Amino acid sequence: MPGPEFTSIGKALPRKEDYRLLIGAGRFVDDIEIPGALVATFVRSPHAHARIVSVDVEAARGCPGIVAVVTGRELGEWTTKLRMAPPIEGLRPVEMSTLPTDKVRFQGDPVVCVIATDRYLAEDAAEQVVVEYEPLPAVTDMWQALQAEAPRVDEALSSNLVSHQTFSHGDPAARRREAYKVVEATFSQARQTHLPIETRGCVAVWDPGRQHLTLTIGTQAPHPLRTQLAARLRLTESQVSVVSPDVGGGFGQKIIFYREELTVAALARALGRPVRWREDRMENLIAASHAREDFCRTRAAVTKEGRLLGLELELVEDFGAYCFYPANYLARVVAMILTGPYKVQDYAFDVKVVLSNKCGNGPMRAPMAITSWVIEGTIEAIARTLGLDPAEVRRVNMLRKEELPYTMATGEVLEDITPRETFEAALSAVDYAGFRERQKRARHEARYLGLGICVVVESTTYGSRFYKAAGIPGSGHEAAWVRVEPSGAVNASVGLGPTGQGYETSLSQAVAEGLGVDPKDVRVHLGHTDIAPYGMGSRGARGGTAGGSTLYLAALDARAKMVAIAAHLLEVAESDIELKDGRFSVAGTDRSKSFAEVARTAYLDPLALPQGMSPGLDFSKTYDPPAMTYSNATHVCMVDVATDTGAISIERYVVAEDCGTVLSPVVVEGQQHGAIAMGLSGALFEQVFYDENGQNLSATLADYLVPTAAELPNFEVIAMHTPNGRTPAGVKGMAEGGVMGAIGAVLNAVNDALAPFGVVADRQPLSPQYIRALLRGKVAKEAS
Amino acid sequence: MFERVNVKLNVNGQAHELLVEPRKLLSDALREDCRLTGTHVGCEHGVCGACTVLVDGRPARACLIYAVQMEGHAITTIEAIAAQGRLSALQEALHEEHGLQCGFCTPGIVMTFEAFLRKRPDPSEGEIRQTLSGNLCRCTGYHNIVAAIRKAAARMRGEENHAGA
Amino acid sequence: MKPAAFTYHRARSLADVFALLATHGDAAKVIAGGQSLGPMLNVRLAQPDHLIDLNDLHDLSYVRDAGTVIAVGALARHDDVASSELVRSACPLLAEAAGTVGHYAIRQRGTMGGSLAHADPAAQLPLVAVALNAEIDVASARGRRTLPARDFFVSVMTTALEAEEIIVEVRFPRLGAREGSAFELFSRRHGDFAIVAAAATVALDGGRRVARVGLTVGGVDAVPVSLEELAPRFVGREANAEWCAGFAQAARERIEPADDPRIPAEYRRELCAALARRALERAIAQAIGR
Repeated sequence: MPGPEFTSIGKALPRKEDYRLLIGAGRFVDDIEIPGALVATFVRSPHAHARIVSVDVEAARGCPGIVAVVTGRELGEWTTKLRMAPPIEGLRPVEMSTLPTDKVRFQGDPVVCVIATDRYLAEDAAEQVVVEYEPLPAVTDMWQALQAEAPRVDEALSSNLVSHQTFSHGDPAARRREAYKVVEATFSQARQTHLPIETRGCVAVWDPGRQHLTLTIGTQAPHPLRTQLAARLRLTESQVSVVSPDVGGGFGQKIIFYREELTVAALARALGRPVRWREDRMENLIAASHAREDFCRTRAAVTKEGRLLGLELELVEDFGAYCFYPANYLARVVAMILTGPYKVQDYAFDVKVVLSNKCGNGPMRAPMAITSWVIEGTIEAIARTLGLDPAEVRRVNMLRKEELPYTMATGEVLEDITPRETFEAALSAVDYAGFRERQKRARHEARYLGLGICVVVESTTYGSRFYKAAGIPGSGHEAAWVRVEPSGAVNASVGLGPTGQGYETSLSQAVAEGLGVDPKDVRVHLGHTDIAPYGMGSRGARGGTAGGSTLYLAALDARAKMVAIAAHLLEVAESDIELKDGRFSVAGTDRSKSFAEVARTAYLDPLALPQGMSPGLDFSKTYDPPAMTYSNATHVCMVDVATDTGAISIERYVVAEDCGTVLSPVVVEGQQHGAIAMGLSGALFEQVFYDENGQNLSATLADYLVPTAAELPNFEVIAMHTPNGRTPAGVKGMAEGGVMGAIGAVLNAVNDALAPFGVVADRQPLSPQYIRALLRGKVAKEAS
Repeated sequence: MFERVNVKLNVNGQAHELLVEPRKLLSDALREDCRLTGTHVGCEHGVCGACTVLVDGRPARACLIYAVQMEGHAITTIEAIAAQGRLSALQEALHEEHGLQCGFCTPGIVMTFEAFLRKRPDPSEGEIRQTLSGNLCRCTGYHNIVAAIRKAAARMRGEENHAGA
Repeated sequence: MKPAAFTYHRARSLADVFALLATHGDAAKVIAGGQSLGPMLNVRLAQPDHLIDLNDLHDLSYVRDAGTVIAVGALARHDDVASSELVRSACPLLAEAAGTVGHYAIRQRGTMGGSLAHADPAAQLPLVAVALNAEIDVASARGRRTLPARDFFVSVMTTALEAEEIIVEVRFPRLGAREGSAFELFSRRHGDFAIVAAAATVALDGGRRVARVGLTVGGVDAVPVSLEELAPRFVGREANAEWCAGFAQAARERIEPADDPRIPAEYRRELCAALARRALERAIAQAIGR
């Protein structure tokens, strides 16, 4: 592994993507004109749970501009069902049709597809579709879902419990008996949704001459989507291309291959005409995918000094009505990494995932978002119970550098992390002791300031060994190619799916580093399954580690071959060649060959190449990163809580972070800001609100709230990066830890502010009415 | 009621002749009929601000206007801002400050502030954040956008040099 | 979502408007700024067969000094009202409130007439109109009449406008010497509709005694609630922090907000008290300065 003297990696270069996006010349799916394309729209269930008694599309078919109106029945002929049955302990297999024919399971479940010449006419016709429903009792709450007599969301299962996993290491029960105290704490995260500013949409074009389908779609995982699409349409993978252009945000919502998208593709083939679809914002809010809605309870066995002896976790997640994604996966990561930066080996968890009559869950940036709040909130609860300083309780339990590598109770190995260092740096940056003084004075004036700490250990990358060990089918490797063209131009590609994270820039820096050229001379091609090699897409903060490393390694191979050619042409040993400023020079002389000359020779003068060397400069590489890499950070949030209205204002936000070697510090800082913003958003504003009948009351942006610029603070980021010892350039991965840290930091800050009232906020979002509900009837104890 | 009507639009100084239903949203007409796809659609209920254009120089949500209403008015979209391919001070500042990630909300923000900074050349950070509150961004957390707007405002006041200028 | 189809009419004069309303009656809706009606049309909550566009009625777009009152035309845009030097000095409550409506782009198009006719229970301009008991002129083919704001708002999104009538002008009283006003609103985010809003007006005598006080609260009932009947108890006393707290508490006890699944009535009461107190304190400070 190279040292820190990178020439391209780590440079703060502005982004290549920006020009087209700034001038309005980005090419998002809807910007791409496909002549003759028809438009699809869906008729959706108004009920949370109901049998479909009959569907009458005759009136709709007769409306102006309508080309076709189809139901699940026709789609059942053109497509296969989806079977989600990974061989995972505790996970029940589930099956779903392309569009439901016998019953609907959530308000917004698509039932009929209307195809018209434009969206306005399609919506007019959609209003004429008559679906007769027989409403059924709905399950709208996770506790109700767990009850034996609850209505069954999926009748093929014997209950709504779709996944149940338990684990125990050491003897947590014995630690409880021995403990000075057993501290219990609860944590509830609301149902959320990803809310990319660009909703879901796609265009399907079937070429009957070539018998080939091209789907243009904003997706984070083009190749896996192609595999699924081909299978569901009974086509071979060579008959399908998936092209992902500019994408207006994904955050995990654009990984899953949705029923609407499959419907559109099937219709393009059946009708022999291109079909496009764009969901509107209301559909996106009620029927795309949801996330989170998890409840955790911890029991911590502790000594008088606050040292953790044992820890138990109970987690329940409300997964919604359909498993677009394996139901165990998201919750499992929480349980797997919960102990975070703390030393505790006697650990047990019980994780249940239930179905309900709500839109199904999918991974949302930091699916394990609740984790750091839970462990840090547990630490806070310990400190409160024992009357200790929460910073001290952390110090007592936190891993020291000398104790690494550390194998967690769950078998995860923590190495090359620096939680303690970021912790001390963050507290120093905010002058922790000084704040406690200010807080005390403020309390005398009935002003309630709070400071919250959240130490994050973020799992990133997820290599193949992780999937294998977890029993999850699928790979964590990545694939790339680097090609130097005859003119010396450099093209490269990798199987990631960008959705705004600046890969064209950061990955060109990885290639440039390996190859020894300027990043501006490297063009990275992404998102087209005919061009990019088969990759696993973008999720789990794997882009930098998996994608960047693979490209870097491929680029090193390219450089090695070019050095060999140059050495041969210049008749010296390879070790005498230096690559600098676009030229291969013989050290200590002025003899050289340009990058372009070497490239040209490789392609057009193969007889001049070294004996046995094949022509061309085309390099493919795959790389399987470590099972897991970890980044870490400490977040500190300072708030002022107005106790009369319950309003929370964030006064300051600081994060000290270590995310390993950073390909692009510009991109990484932006990702950190965005992740923190999303965490604060969930903690303070977001809630998908279903009433007791399963009606979604948060179906517009006036009801589903995310913060504006007026609600968020500036973010002070202290970079403390240390490399990972096992990845090619020391990259660790990041972009989800900010979500985890922000949730924990703001929740802990608010509880710190309200401590004089003896109340604890244990749920998100921290709406002002919830804060007032906690404070109602309470008085502040005199500040001592 | 499905009869289309002739609508003459003046967009970025150019005349466009459309034949559209009266209910056609300006956002859709700009994108489909004028083929100017830089104006993006994020919600169609006036909240996200992605569709913001200028109408007679004032920011407006294109999703809350029917194209037919715009005869006799001057519409400016993002495509007009970079004159002859050269980025405006605000666009350049957004680039330098990494004030965009996926770019979907960006044109709406540029249009809002191209107008606002000309009316209010020296805004405080609080005023910037309040004015920016009409544009939702899910990627950036706004921090770098605010920094870019401050930088652009300073340059437009002549207080700072452009990189390389 | 896309709106249902409609026939579009561009009114060039009030006479056009009246003729169109007479012809199409209930099947027509007028549109001014479109910031409230637009979303409703787009999600098909409203599906008029005819849409009458008022935006060419430039004669209704003004802010005028009319002696003891400020006259605002129905087509005056919120941003023009908020930034008008005349309104800021002569009727600061109106300027303050107009500057908080939605966001910058919304204020460029939203209109006085549109906001009052829409009559959202939590909206700023209906609240200020009631607080100042503005006079609202409405017109139809039958002629013009004046309604006091307190009689104009009948229920949630329902006004005293009769069929075929539109608002043409609104007149707000000037703020006098030793008078002060203040507007407070509470929302989850900047630019959202208020959960609760309060407008306070105060007149002091030569010293610091309260000669007159008004408090109007929005978001706690179907229409803005004027709490003038509380005034007699509080008039003639010294305007200080304790006085403000007392009035705010009385307001809290007087209102009867409804419970809703996401916002309990008790919370609206608490907000009412908090906002009333802040509004009264600021109004007094402004009165002292005048």
